[in-house]
Amino acid sequence: MRRRSSRGRKAADAAVRAVASLAALLGIGVLALILAEVARRGAPALDGAFFTALPGPPGVEGGGLANAILGTLALTAAATAIGVPLGMLAGVYLSEFGRDTRLGAAVRFCVNVLMGLPSILVGLFVWTVLVVPFRSFSGHAGAVALALIMLPVVARTTEDMLALVPHALREGALAVGAPRWRSTLIAFKAARGGLITGVLLAVARVSGETAPLLFTALNSPFWPRSMSEPVANLTVTVFQYAMSPYADWQAKAWGASLLIMAAVLTTSLLARTFARERTR
Amino acid sequence: MNATSPESPLTPPPAVPRPHVAVRSGPAAADADGPPKISVRGLDFHYGKQQALFGNDLDIAANRVTAVIGPSGCGKSTHLRVYNRIYQLYRDQRASGEVLLDGVNLLSPATDLIELRRRVGMIFQKPTPFPMSIYENVAYGLKLHYRLGKGEMAEAVERALRGAALWDEVKDALDRPGTALSGGQQQRLCIARAIAVRPEVLLMDEPTSAIDPVATAKIEDLIEELKRDFTIVVVTHNMQQAARVSDFTAFFFEGRIVEFGATRQIFTKPVHRQTEDYITGRFG
Repeated sequence: MRRRSSRGRKAADAAVRAVASLAALLGIGVLALILAEVARRGAPALDGAFFTALPGPPGVEGGGLANAILGTLALTAAATAIGVPLGMLAGVYLSEFGRDTRLGAAVRFCVNVLMGLPSILVGLFVWTVLVVPFRSFSGHAGAVALALIMLPVVARTTEDMLALVPHALREGALAVGAPRWRSTLIAFKAARGGLITGVLLAVARVSGETAPLLFTALNSPFWPRSMSEPVANLTVTVFQYAMSPYADWQAKAWGASLLIMAAVLTTSLLARTFARERTR
Repeated sequence: MNATSPESPLTPPPAVPRPHVAVRSGPAAADADGPPKISVRGLDFHYGKQQALFGNDLDIAANRVTAVIGPSGCGKSTHLRVYNRIYQLYRDQRASGEVLLDGVNLLSPATDLIELRRRVGMIFQKPTPFPMSIYENVAYGLKLHYRLGKGEMAEAVERALRGAALWDEVKDALDRPGTALSGGQQQRLCIARAIAVRPEVLLMDEPTSAIDPVATAKIEDLIEELKRDFTIVVVTHNMQQAARVSDFTAFFFEGRIVEFGATRQIFTKPVHRQTEDYITGRFG
């Protein structure tokens, strides 16, 4: 039998390796470019007033986006307060109680669909149920829209993280006489690191969302005083300022972009450290 | 005991040998005194449509160690997992027949599972320390079943850790995570957690198969100690272990109990050919 030469095999190996490396470099390169560009353009806008002052009138230089920063924090916090508990409970159901049931399969399917839903649809949906009937854009509506985007992400990570906890641990708890919910609590505790990671990733995901807020929280040039009114936020501000004809507003849009990017990056890095602690 | 007293379902039956006590071979519960702690009668078990246990009959003597041996997949663990009904965590697993604990059928739907599991503790193949401190691990079960003051709790935890021969190694590190202990220590921690709630029966499902020989020796010594206070059933793959620690041995094969008797008899003069073949290492 004639043996195949190893030259072809080695060449193929080298080629695949080269193409894969190139693709990886390209991905990292694009990210680096975006980071660098946003930092270069955004950094000059981040002065003291940016963090402390209200925006000035159109066309007038100066002012800041303190109201939008506060508003985004408030919206994200409210969305987390709604989305995380619901998502986690759904995840617990999927992992602990509905694992092999029909309802569980249906819920899992819906969660996956929800996860793939374009965020603008979520915004439109919330607009029809929470904005139109109340005849006002509101922070509540914005928070609910963001929460709906968080829910499937949190539910899936919760299910996945709980699935990684060995059955023996739950059995161990049941075997000393713990009721079912307490054994679930033990599994929760064991999955803690991964669950925190999931929550942080979901927070990072929604803190950059614009579309669901356009129809719900809208935006506002004022301090956020009540969640029943339109609430200022960074992403819609970026959208509006970037499209405006004023150089100062455009510069502020870059500044806001840099701020959002930094926040998302920090959150993701934080998520990674928690994930690492889990695998320890 | 008054023979004429009416038998309530909650009081154990009198210490009279049951008429159908005969187990497949040999003298059942050979030199045990008193009634069996657990009597299994006609136990069948199904995983979905697949039957895993067939008409198991077995008597577990009180304050003795009963070893359950047999090749992989023969149903040893399945059988053990009926005693505390832990199998019920899984939807498609079903047991039928009778398992009498002090004469009361624990398979009855009326059984309070939490109380059953307080009375029948379990140690698993892999140590299962909870993600909390050593102290909290032992206190976990205690808190579920007893109302204890701080001092009483500390005493009970110490007593359990001493009972599991772990106290001297951890007494200065009770707030360290239980997961930071070595494998053998983790297993003794689980034993401490199990005995803390003062069970009557301890089920051990291959308790030493995941730990090293030195730690195994410690646990075997511990089993010897524990049988003074508890009735112990241990599933093991290790023939020498069964011979060393147990008073009675049941040999399982393909979901049936082939032979049951005093360990010495099973290991020296087995009645059944299959038992002999397995013990001498011809299969399994």
